[in-house]
Amino acid sequence: MKNNLILEVKNLNVELAKERVIESLDFSLREKEILVILGPNGAGKTVLLKTLLGLFNFKGSIYWKPKTHLGYVPEDFDVSENLPLSVKEFFNFKKSGTIKISQSLQRVGIKSSAKFLKKRLGTLSSGQLRRTLIAWVMVDNPHVILLDEPMVGIDIHGRKTIYDSLVKLWQKRNQSIILVSHEIGEVCKKADKILALNKTKLFYGKPEKVITSQNLAKIYGDTISL
Amino acid sequence: METQFLYSLIVSIFIGGLAGFLGSLMITKRMALVGDALGHVALPGVALALILGFNVSWGALPCLALGIFLIWFFEVKTKLPMEALTGIVFTSSVAIAFLFLPESEVSNALIGDISQITLADTLISIVVSMITFFVLKKIYSKMILLNLSENLAQVEGIKVKKYNFIYLACIAMVVALGIKVTGSLLMGALVITPAAAARNFAHSLSQYSYGALLIGTISCFLGVLAFKVFNLPAGPLIILFASLIFLISIAFKRR
Repeated sequence: MKNNLILEVKNLNVELAKERVIESLDFSLREKEILVILGPNGAGKTVLLKTLLGLFNFKGSIYWKPKTHLGYVPEDFDVSENLPLSVKEFFNFKKSGTIKISQSLQRVGIKSSAKFLKKRLGTLSSGQLRRTLIAWVMVDNPHVILLDEPMVGIDIHGRKTIYDSLVKLWQKRNQSIILVSHEIGEVCKKADKILALNKTKLFYGKPEKVITSQNLAKIYGDTISL
Repeated sequence: METQFLYSLIVSIFIGGLAGFLGSLMITKRMALVGDALGHVALPGVALALILGFNVSWGALPCLALGIFLIWFFEVKTKLPMEALTGIVFTSSVAIAFLFLPESEVSNALIGDISQITLADTLISIVVSMITFFVLKKIYSKMILLNLSENLAQVEGIKVKKYNFIYLACIAMVVALGIKVTGSLLMGALVITPAAAARNFAHSLSQYSYGALLIGTISCFLGVLAFKVFNLPAGPLIILFASLIFLISIAFKRR
């Protein structure tokens, strides 16, 4: 069981500007697992992802299985409208071929046409840009993908279809997922583990066990049910 | 005389193209005026080179290195905004230069002079321009990704400090080369104007970057040609041609 461990976090503490943002956190991730991180705004979810990615200093230990290729879908990704960067050129940064690009785009519900590839990145709608970014991150097949509020800006109908198709693909490719969300719903149903966070761990475990109204009240301070 | 003219033409074309290409990156990173400021930072070195009679580019380079170091050092020490510190360093440089710059050389220092250029200088300028161009080409897409999202770029394995340093070194190199052509006062325009014009024409990143290169080249070609015909200083003519192309480009701006 131990050998398919891909990430192990022990006693993680993160301080930003002398303020403790994450406190004594432990959790782990195995191959093929989907871990959803829940929590209110300002709970430290984004900081946790960035710390896992090596972007912040920390105390404690973060163990990544050696040679793990990480992909990251950041929460804030805006492109200036007049930057003349086409979708195709954006993908060229990763040296991906046309077939891979269109496959990757299709998975997030975008029909890849010559016209779409020629579009400027900055002229895409926020939903389309979000989808394109997810496709971009996935195009070179990372072992683990860390997604920060990936569905923001994508319409409700699109969210479910994209999410279903992504989960299928992740499982087929043996990819592990860490997904940050501030909403409960679709994402939790397909998760293998839920980690609820508000600076420190609120609860952690399989969704059917931990998603209870008492637990959700711990996050959102009121009674909510799935 | 004719060979001399050919040298001027070749050197300015290479440098103009390189400056345009770099400018496309600088505008994207909102650093357009950095070229202008650094042009002034280089002035003491330019003055020294004019007095001692060697190529102003090689005088400019150590001055730029020192200036960039001082701006970085003051920023670390004071945490004041970079533009304020740049302002202090570049005005001080101008002040220092004018303490010893002979009056007869003022115009050369400020608006450049490529009418007297040796074969050796021509060859060195070509080689340095080509090397700087290939370095920039190599880091170009990484710099754009860094500009889109620094975090994303870091996760993709791009070393931010390393690439910013290479980029800054390229800027210093281009400013040093460009000062020969348009002088310290007009150097900024050589990076800003062709790139701004190209941005109005371009639909893609390659059209933008190579468009800027092409417009830089054309401006220099026409400027040096006009200098030959009208016997007016080349630097200002080059910049005015670039500005003219910019005006024309406005008509092509897509919304």
